[in-house]
Amino acid sequence: METKLPSTWEKALDSIRTWARVNSPWVIHFNSGSCNGCDIEILATLTPRYDLERFGVKLQGSPRHADVLICTGPVTRNARDRLVRIYNQMPDPKFVVVVGSCGLSGGVFHGSYNVMGGVDEVIPVDAYVPGCPPRPEAIIHGVVALLDSLKKKP
Amino acid sequence: MNNIFPLIALLIFPGGLFLMASGLVYEWVDRKLIARYQNRVGPRWFQPLADVVKLLAKEEIIPTGVSRGLFVALPVIGMAGALTAALYVPIAGFAPSFSFAGDLVVTLYLLSMMTLCLGLAGANTTDRFSLIGATRTLTQLFSYEAPFLLALLGPAIVAGTWNIAEINNFAGQNIWLVVTQLMGFLVALVGLLGKLEMPPFDAPEAETEIVSGALTEYSGRGLALFRLGKDVELVVGLTLVASFYLGGIANPLEFLLKTLGLLIVMAGMQSLFARLRIDQTVGLWWRIGALLALVQLLVLIVVRVLR
Repeated sequence: METKLPSTWEKALDSIRTWARVNSPWVIHFNSGSCNGCDIEILATLTPRYDLERFGVKLQGSPRHADVLICTGPVTRNARDRLVRIYNQMPDPKFVVVVGSCGLSGGVFHGSYNVMGGVDEVIPVDAYVPGCPPRPEAIIHGVVALLDSLKKKP
Repeated sequence: MNNIFPLIALLIFPGGLFLMASGLVYEWVDRKLIARYQNRVGPRWFQPLADVVKLLAKEEIIPTGVSRGLFVALPVIGMAGALTAALYVPIAGFAPSFSFAGDLVVTLYLLSMMTLCLGLAGANTTDRFSLIGATRTLTQLFSYEAPFLLALLGPAIVAGTWNIAEINNFAGQNIWLVVTQLMGFLVALVGLLGKLEMPPFDAPEAETEIVSGALTEYSGRGLALFRLGKDVELVVGLTLVASFYLGGIANPLEFLLKTLGLLIVMAGMQSLFARLRIDQTVGLWWRIGALLALVQLLVLIVVRVLR
C-alpha cells in the first residue's frame, strides 16, 4: 500500500534525504584478501590528522549501521562468501568503494587460481580508488567523488 | 486553554520537539569538544541531525529469530521514557510541566527505561554480539544505578523533599551544593557518564570487541530512535545534576551555562580515560562509588540529627 504524495513534496523530501545521505556517510571496512597495505592507508585516513569526522564520516563496526562499504584486495575464493554476506547485511541504500589496485582488477594477483580478480566480479561497485596503496588524500577524494555523484542524481 | 497546555508541554516545549533539538545540539557540542581535545576539527554543527535523518530514511532490517513486536516497539518505548522524564525536570530554567511529591523517584525510573530497553533489545536478537552487549548493559545498570540514586538522594535529604522543583528552588536559595557535597557531585557526574554509556564506561558498546553491543542488529529507524533517546537522556541528566548540585536552574541563561559547563567536564573525562573492562566498572562503582555516596549520606544524616 503506497500513498502518492504531490510531486513538490516528493522533491523536497528527496532533497532532504539526499542532503542527509551526503553529509553522514558511515563506513565499514572489509579486507577481502588484501596485503594490508591499503588497510593501513585507510586507518591512516581515519586518524585525527585527516579527521574525517568533519565530513560526517564515522567508522562503524556493524554492517547494519554502515552506508559505505570500503573494500580492499582481490577477492579470494575464501573471502568471497563473507564479502557477499556482509554486503547483503547492509541496509539500503548502500554504496561500495574499492580501494587499491588489487580491488580494481586483481592487481599483481590478476589471473591467480585462487582469486576472483576485482571486487566488481562479486558485488556492484560505485567508486574505484586506484593506487598501490593509494594515499589517504586519494581515498578521501574517492569518497567525495561518490558523494558528489549522489548529489547529481535526480 | 487548559486543554491546550498539556499538549504543548508534550509535543513542543519542554517535551517533544524542543527536547530532541536540544539533544541533537548537545550531542554535537559533546562530539565537537572531544574532537577539539584530540586536536581535531570535529563535526559540523548539523552533523547529529544529518545522522538521524539519514538513519530514518534507511531501510530497517528485522533479522530472523527476533520477536518482531518487541524489536519494533523497544526503541519507541525507550525514547518515550526519556521524553517523559523531561516533563518533571526544570528544562531551560522553567518550572517543570508536571510535578508531584516524590517525582524524583519516577524520573530516575523513567531514565532507566532507556537502558532496560537497550538490554532487552540486545537480548531479543540471536546475535552473539548483541547478547554480550545486553549482558554488559544490564550489569552496568546494576553497578551505577544505586550509587547514582544515593548521590541524588543527598540534595533531597538536605532539602527535605522528594520533589525536583522544590529541590531546585532550595538549591537556588542556598550555597551551591557542590561545595558541601563534593563526593555526591562526583558520583552523580560519573554516574551520568555510566548511564549514557559514554567512555570510559562504554564497555557495553565497545566497537573493538563486540561490534556495537546491544544495537548491533539495529538499522535505520530503530537505531535513530535509540540515538535520539540517548541524546534526550543526556540533556535531562545534565539538567538534573546541574539543578541539584550547581545551585539550581532559574532561567534559560543559567540552564545553558551550567549544563554546558558540566558537559565540558564530562567531555574532558571522556577523552582523558581509557575504556574500563566491565568487571573494573562494577568494581569501581561498588568499591568506590557506592562507598563515597554512602559516606556522604551518613554525614548528611548525622548533621541533620545533630541540628
